[in-house]
Amino acid sequence: MKAMLRPIENNEGTRCCKFEGVADVGAKLQRAGYICSKEIATVVYLAMVTQKPILVEGPAGVGKTELAKAVANSLNRRMIRLQCYEGLDEAKALYEWEYGKQLLYTQIVKDKINEVIKDAATLTEALDRIAGEEDAFFSERFIQPRPLLQALYSEEPVVLLIDEVDKADPEFEAFLLEILSDFQISIPELGTRKAVEIPFVVLTSNNYRDISDALKRRCIHLYIDYPDQDLELKIVQLKYPEISRQLALQVVDAVRHIRKLDIKKKPSISETLDWAHSLVALQVKDLSPETMADTLNMIVKYKADMDLIRRQAGHLLK
Amino acid sequence: MVNLTLKFVAFARGSGLRISTSEVLDCLNHLALVDVLDQEQFAMTLRTNFVKTYRDQPAFDRLFRLFFHELRDADTSKHAGTLNGHIEEALAAMQQQMQPGGLPQPIRDFLLDDPLGYLQALQAGRAEQMGPGQALGGNMGGLVNRLAIMLALDNARSAMARYLSENRNSIPWEIREDLNAYFTARLRNARDLLFENQPAVGAGVQTRISQDQRLNQLSGKAFQALTPKEMQELREVIRKLAAKLKDTLNRRNAKRSRGMLDFKKTVRRSAQYYGLPMEVVYKKRIPHKSKLVVLCDVSGSVWSAARFMLNMLYSLQECFTKVRSFIFVSDLTEITAIFERYEADTAMDKVLSEADIDYQAATNYGRMLRLFQDQYLETLNKKTTVIIIGDARSNYQDPEEGILKEIREKSRRLIWLNPETKQFWYSGDSEAATYQPYCHEFRLCQNLDQLHDFIKELVL
Repeated sequence: MKAMLRPIENNEGTRCCKFEGVADVGAKLQRAGYICSKEIATVVYLAMVTQKPILVEGPAGVGKTELAKAVANSLNRRMIRLQCYEGLDEAKALYEWEYGKQLLYTQIVKDKINEVIKDAATLTEALDRIAGEEDAFFSERFIQPRPLLQALYSEEPVVLLIDEVDKADPEFEAFLLEILSDFQISIPELGTRKAVEIPFVVLTSNNYRDISDALKRRCIHLYIDYPDQDLELKIVQLKYPEISRQLALQVVDAVRHIRKLDIKKKPSISETLDWAHSLVALQVKDLSPETMADTLNMIVKYKADMDLIRRQAGHLLK
Repeated sequence: MVNLTLKFVAFARGSGLRISTSEVLDCLNHLALVDVLDQEQFAMTLRTNFVKTYRDQPAFDRLFRLFFHELRDADTSKHAGTLNGHIEEALAAMQQQMQPGGLPQPIRDFLLDDPLGYLQALQAGRAEQMGPGQALGGNMGGLVNRLAIMLALDNARSAMARYLSENRNSIPWEIREDLNAYFTARLRNARDLLFENQPAVGAGVQTRISQDQRLNQLSGKAFQALTPKEMQELREVIRKLAAKLKDTLNRRNAKRSRGMLDFKKTVRRSAQYYGLPMEVVYKKRIPHKSKLVVLCDVSGSVWSAARFMLNMLYSLQECFTKVRSFIFVSDLTEITAIFERYEADTAMDKVLSEADIDYQAATNYGRMLRLFQDQYLETLNKKTTVIIIGDARSNYQDPEEGILKEIREKSRRLIWLNPETKQFWYSGDSEAATYQPYCHEFRLCQNLDQLHDFIKELVL
């Protein structure tokens, strides 16, 4: 599904930068290449209007990250993405002082510094004078903004995607709290910085571990499950318009059956789409058990699962 | 709308959902923004605010259905005013009839359109049922609780029937009919709630736990008691645990390895930049690794525990400078080479077939120690940790604890793992009492949990 987003056609000639209602969300997301259920549309709309972050949960590959991209696309906003991982710290997520730049600048303005302290009578006085200019060395000029600070500093509203927040350490969550509830950040040397424009925040989680209640309380929650048959069929047809309806139906049906089996990794929408893509590329007209067995590695990621499905292939395609 | 929402919140909280005040406020704000007459939007607005984990979602959906549909449907909106008086009258009469104790308050409230108390009672019963007291009779508490409620409901039904027949003449026919329908529906509702199989909240948690629980059971099960299939599963678990341990260790080392400022290097590098310290260099700390020597008893019962330990140690090989392993029954032989040649799982099977050892011999710890002393004692140094895994059952032969003392003095640590149940340690031909004083640690290692704890202490 990734990289499949088509830019929206601005047939009205205007930039759409707001959703007008639940139905409007659905329509605009669909134009951005994301078909969503009414539930998703409702939550996105509420988050938009009340400026609350969305916490998206769901199995891998159902389009959690894609939702953020689609929202950014349909609102014509830039998307800033922060991929979380174990050991992610403030320097990588928030900001970092550019030590090298500070040093370089100090060198370049050395003469100026000398001037400032030239006529100082004592060492203490010289130090006092430099201390008076301290702000010059710790100003925003020397801050390297990382995704979170970028999102707050941005003049235009952005979509901030904090991906797989459950992979980050619990301490990281704690400092997300300030950002998510007040949209501000405290930098010790500079003070508190407020967001210029409130970003639209999407957090995704794969249930790698439980997220703290404090964080959950600040977000509204969205659970994206495997889509129902109609929705999945629509998604397949939207992404691959050249696929025949008959084949699309077979694909969706087979995947739905496979999901019901007791396998290690259930195929999700992205796998369905990969599969449909490869069948289209192979110019398959009708899904037979043989073709299915040949292309199975598009949807199944474990050998044990593959064996199980091969055994049931005839049964799955009815 | 506000009232209805608050009522639902109270109802949901009563059934064990955790909803904070700020979430309620958010929800009320949100409701003003959506089309509340569209059921999907309405339900989603409540859900997105009140349920913050997918596990509670099924419970929420159930509560929602119950509150906004089933209980409403039974509601007698068509004859709301006229029937109310009669209902209360009937309940009062039933209250008197039912002896002893009368109608329990929660059920009475439930019949009067306030389900909160009843749901709380049910929830309490379930909590008891699911509680950790899983010993014998542990799951009886819930059953007893449910039985009491069931009896009360039955009593209420017969009391109602009696009340209706006794007052055949004083209450008009239509009203009696309505009353009967009302109570029957309510009582049926109550019964359905009671017998619903799934526990109220945490329905999702249940299925998830069952996976974890299974692993827990597995890792808590004694090694000897495992079936071949479980052994396969356990290997998988061990692989995951080992990977996790390695991750933790790597991350910790990465963090810790940054030591003090390396002044010499910083100055040297600064030469490139006209003497400016552009690159600041820190000293690296080399993580300290130890050498392991493992002695495994492979006689019968002990081997099942030993193999898992070897498996785990070899999965963690890079955490040690060297792992040398030996197996013994009466003789002692080194099996390090087998592990170097094959991958851990295969090696484990090869050990028993390829190692040059007489498996039929009687276990003799004293002889094993003597052999070790002769051939390998000089390989020990102060960086070596010696691990002996065995039940210390030496068939009444000389235990040679003096050699153990020597090993202790020559190595950094000496740890004895005993896979035998603790009650039997000091009985019969067990030399546990003899060996114990010479070991830095003498610990029980019967299942994966204990093994994992031990290995964690060892590497971290």
